[in-house]
Amino acid sequence: MERKQPDLVLIVARSFATKLATPTLIIDGHGNLVFFNDAAAEVLGRSYVDIGALQASHWQELFQPRTLDEEPMTAEQTPGGVALLERRPVHDSFTMRGLDGLEREITVTAFPLFSHPDEVVGVMSIFWEPSGAS
Amino acid sequence: MIVRLWGARGSLSAPGSATVGYGGNTSCVELELADGTSLILDAGSGIRELGQRLLERDPGVLYICLTHLHLDHVEGLGFFGPLWRAGWKLRFWGPPSATATLRARVSRYLSPPLFPIGLSEAPSQASFEDVPREPWRVGSAMIEAQTVEHRGPTVGYRIEEEGHVLAYVPDHEPFLTAALDDHPRWISGWALAAGADLLLHDSQYTEEEYAHRVGWGHSSVAHAAAFARAAGVRRFAMFHHDPMRSDRELEALYDDVAESVRDEQEPPLIAREGLEINLGATP
Repeated sequence: MERKQPDLVLIVARSFATKLATPTLIIDGHGNLVFFNDAAAEVLGRSYVDIGALQASHWQELFQPRTLDEEPMTAEQTPGGVALLERRPVHDSFTMRGLDGLEREITVTAFPLFSHPDEVVGVMSIFWEPSGAS
Repeated sequence: MIVRLWGARGSLSAPGSATVGYGGNTSCVELELADGTSLILDAGSGIRELGQRLLERDPGVLYICLTHLHLDHVEGLGFFGPLWRAGWKLRFWGPPSATATLRARVSRYLSPPLFPIGLSEAPSQASFEDVPREPWRVGSAMIEAQTVEHRGPTVGYRIEEEGHVLAYVPDHEPFLTAALDDHPRWISGWALAAGADLLLHDSQYTEEEYAHRVGWGHSSVAHAAAFARAAGVRRFAMFHHDPMRSDRELEALYDDVAESVRDEQEPPLIAREGLEINLGATP
């Protein structure tokens, strides 16, 4: 039996997200998407139960993030990616395509989850749709 | 590995006729490893009597793993003989903190006005370290620590020796952060307890009590049993008994939990002061 499990900080973050009515998404320390809540599912177009955990490259491919100037963004350029790589909070807006096919502008606040002063185990991203679906 | 319980009560010592059967001392467990090493889990009031027993030996090295620094897990240190006797070496591990060393945090209790003598006055050689992030060896055992869901920085321990595993998670509220039928990897403490031969787990509340104490950091007996099932432990012992719980009430709770064990599990136990379990013994 493989006994590996996420750090408690990530477990608690996931639990917190399940209780929030604000769209919230969590990636782990490798950039893999490990959870998003029901409010986020409204924006992303599918529920987490339907999608499950996704590797960094895969979720970037699925949601096709773009800058407000329509430039494609890599996973590392999204607020969550910057928060993870640079270990700092980020607040930014960009567009993404929901799995329902709708293009949306979202504003994201992403912050790294430190389990120790020198160890980031993931990122929590809370986001809003300032202008609604188009 | 021989497991000896010197204290299984939670929160506050609870001596008296109503608790004499399972004991009133707070958390302390002694592990006698195959190579003779003494490993101690927590320093509740039960460690006082253990210390008296240890003083019958020549001074040596003791290893003490603290799960956290709530008083019921450190209150015995002021009366732990080897700490206050020259010649003994004590090596402590405890939960990490971003703001203060383990020694500084333990000293908050072992210093005036809470205690008349300061830790710096102890004539033994005591060292204090945050638990390593990776498993480490003590004597003939490997120890693993992980942070678990409780109020404040808290770890649980997994001790493995010669293929036998003890999991020790005395203060734990896994139900707060995951449904216990969730994927096990998202349940706090699961990796510590997975497949253990014996799990000593927080069983402080009844279901009714838990409903009024959600977020206080402890489990109901039913939650503890569900956690044990999710982790696939061979045997689960109710530990960290509420100080208000009498022996008769504990036994009534036991009857409820005993009905919920799976076929592959052995009957649960009520942790009792003086109980000794040899995990290496042939079942």
